Amino acid sequence: MTSRGISIVVARCLSSLEWLFRLDRGVPQGKVRWVVDGLAGALALGVVAATPAAAQEKPSALGLGIFTFTSGPAAAYGMPGKNAADLMIGEINAKGGIGGVPVSATYVDEAQGAQGVIAEYRRLAGDAKNQVMVAALSSANCLALAPLAEQLEVPTVGWNCDTHQLLMDGKSKYVFRPNGNTVPEFIAYAIYLLDRKPDVKTVAIINPDYAFGHDAAKIFTAALKALKPDVEIVAELYPKLGSPNYQTEISRLTTARPDVVFSNLWGADLENFVRQAAPRGIFTSSQVILALGETVLQRVPLPDGVIVGVLGDGWWMSPDARAKPETVKFAEAYKARFGEYPVFPSIKMANALIYVKAAYDAAMRKNGGKWPTRVELADAMNGSKVETLTGIAQTRTDNDGLVDQIVGVTVRTSAQQFPVIGDMVRYKGDSLMPQAGQDPLAWIATLKPEFAKGLPKPGSYK
Amino acid sequence: MLNAVIPLLLDSLASAALIFFAAVGLTLVFSVLRVLNVAHGSLYSIGGYVAASICLFIASRQLNPYWSFLALLFSAVCVAAIFGPLIERGLIRWTYGKSEAVQILITFGLFLILEDLQRVIFGVQSFYEDAPMRLLGTTSIGGVVYLNYQILLIGMAFLIVIGLRLLINHTRLGRLITAVVTDREMAQSIGIDTNRIFILAFSLGVFLAALGGALATPTSGIAPGLGADTMVLAFAVAAIGGLGQIEGAALASLIVGLARVLAIYLAPSLDAVAPYAAMLVVLLIRPYGLFGSVAARRI
Repeated sequence: MTSRGISIVVARCLSSLEWLFRLDRGVPQGKVRWVVDGLAGALALGVVAATPAAAQEKPSALGLGIFTFTSGPAAAYGMPGKNAADLMIGEINAKGGIGGVPVSATYVDEAQGAQGVIAEYRRLAGDAKNQVMVAALSSANCLALAPLAEQLEVPTVGWNCDTHQLLMDGKSKYVFRPNGNTVPEFIAYAIYLLDRKPDVKTVAIINPDYAFGHDAAKIFTAALKALKPDVEIVAELYPKLGSPNYQTEISRLTTARPDVVFSNLWGADLENFVRQAAPRGIFTSSQVILALGETVLQRVPLPDGVIVGVLGDGWWMSPDARAKPETVKFAEAYKARFGEYPVFPSIKMANALIYVKAAYDAAMRKNGGKWPTRVELADAMNGSKVETLTGIAQTRTDNDGLVDQIVGVTVRTSAQQFPVIGDMVRYKGDSLMPQAGQDPLAWIATLKPEFAKGLPKPGSYK
Repeated sequence: MLNAVIPLLLDSLASAALIFFAAVGLTLVFSVLRVLNVAHGSLYSIGGYVAASICLFIASRQLNPYWSFLALLFSAVCVAAIFGPLIERGLIRWTYGKSEAVQILITFGLFLILEDLQRVIFGVQSFYEDAPMRLLGTTSIGGVVYLNYQILLIGMAFLIVIGLRLLINHTRLGRLITAVVTDREMAQSIGIDTNRIFILAFSLGVFLAALGGALATPTSGIAPGLGADTMVLAFAVAAIGGLGQIEGAALASLIVGLARVLAIYLAPSLDAVAPYAAMLVVLLIRPYGLFGSVAARRI
């Protein structure tokens, strides 16, 4: 049991005694509280001081608080993450857990909103069993939880947090993102588009109406303008997150007659949009980019030639992934258990858990095999380089991640009944990221058309 | 010019049709029972879930896909037949004559129960079944490709307005409903079975809500949370049109549809607030809605 855990148990025991013997009867409340709290504190400190070795004892189970959407329209994206977590935790436990300690997860549904998510985070963090939080899916929730993670000193791994705002101040000690962020993710699409369709003149954007949608539009537009200044944005639409009907937006996009339609809609919103837009000819009249399109390849009949990607390197059929037996095994096990192959949110979650395990292993190697404290764990994550199912997740000194970006187009093959990603490119993670502490938009504005010339071309990743 | 106006007009009508389906049942129930049914949105989404389930069943058994159209209607009838009498007799009738606060609290409780019931039965993932939409194909109007199903929805909305007006004005049931709406006590004193009228009127309201959900399903997915969104929009429409006014709901749907479409075309950032801005303007000018009137309070 950790020192923090012992303190909490002792304090709770004393609180129970206080209630049991009605110590407050006839005594002013403030004095009783002062005496009992003082006793609790002194005793807890004494216990902790007297048992330094106990602080490093292995717990009977390692609890993880895992935050994702398990209900509502966003569950179409969140549930594959939860499924992957179930599968990966099962695999870790089958191999003896982390450092011999079995892992268990408590799932928190992000659909309850930021207030509920914050309350759940506090509740889980208060239990010493839960040493790490894997949080969260929504960028808005990631931003809400980050200050709490710092305040409570709980290592928190953003399994999907995309917003570049998360770690911009460079002061985070306990929040980590073993992924790329909105900056490399959406610059990658701009570069791929210009390589594939260099004569593009007009672009329309339809993104969800919150930070992720607006950030993506800003970054994609800034990158396009920097790399091809004559590109014009002819329509920018931001439908409400969770909107079931896009018919008017589709008419608006059609009347704008853009060369390119860019979207980072996701979850059920993306499925709805594709199902409604496909019969109305959007995919034939414009080059469509669906930044999160890989998530619907197995569910919606996307036509050939749509530019899609995985917001990172998490494509389970990429050449690197296919070369790893453990990735192939994971994908097949996922298919056998859940009826579909993993989508990139599944891979992101699995990679985040691999990242957590690697941090524990590294921390224990460093401290002589003892169970690490939360501080030691955070130290192990900082600056780490972890081999994941699909590549390498490198953590910078500002806790932000560097992962490669895979982009391609939908193609049909005889091997699968659904479209897959072809004509791929794999950009190096650090090639599309500003330096730590640098303003991303200011950095993008400095890019010149020559910047893209030095990068790999569509079709080069085979 | 015409090419710019036609899409605006068609999109407004298509949007208004969907909004009208969501609101007309709410306003009908209020006109007869004088109860503001907060659970109306849940009945809308249950209609959608049932329709999608039946259509998926038809697809899985590889039956003639045109059965899907019948399934949309059949699902609304089923939902109305089950939930209409059950809710009216089990809950709503206890609220007659009670304050609006009690009515709203009870129907809000029902809304929460129905929302959880949907999660238990249908799960938390989105449902899709677009066979009716695909079967009807598309038409290009003014350079924009529209789904024929959207045009069908516009026609259906007109049919429902006309059908309800015919029902109220030209049938025995309609006259009985009118009598109950005009003076409940007098209707009772001349031998009208008001309880039966209440059950029928409430079930008709449930049918319209469920039909709205069923008709919307082929063009949009059904997911938890849809009920709440629908309810809020239906309230806005009912308030603009005047609570209890069917033609008012139709005109209000058109206003809200037009406001939304204009926002998406001209000022996309105002898309979400446009229906409520329209409501605010109308209520500032006519506090009882477009077709509503000041009612004398009985003492």
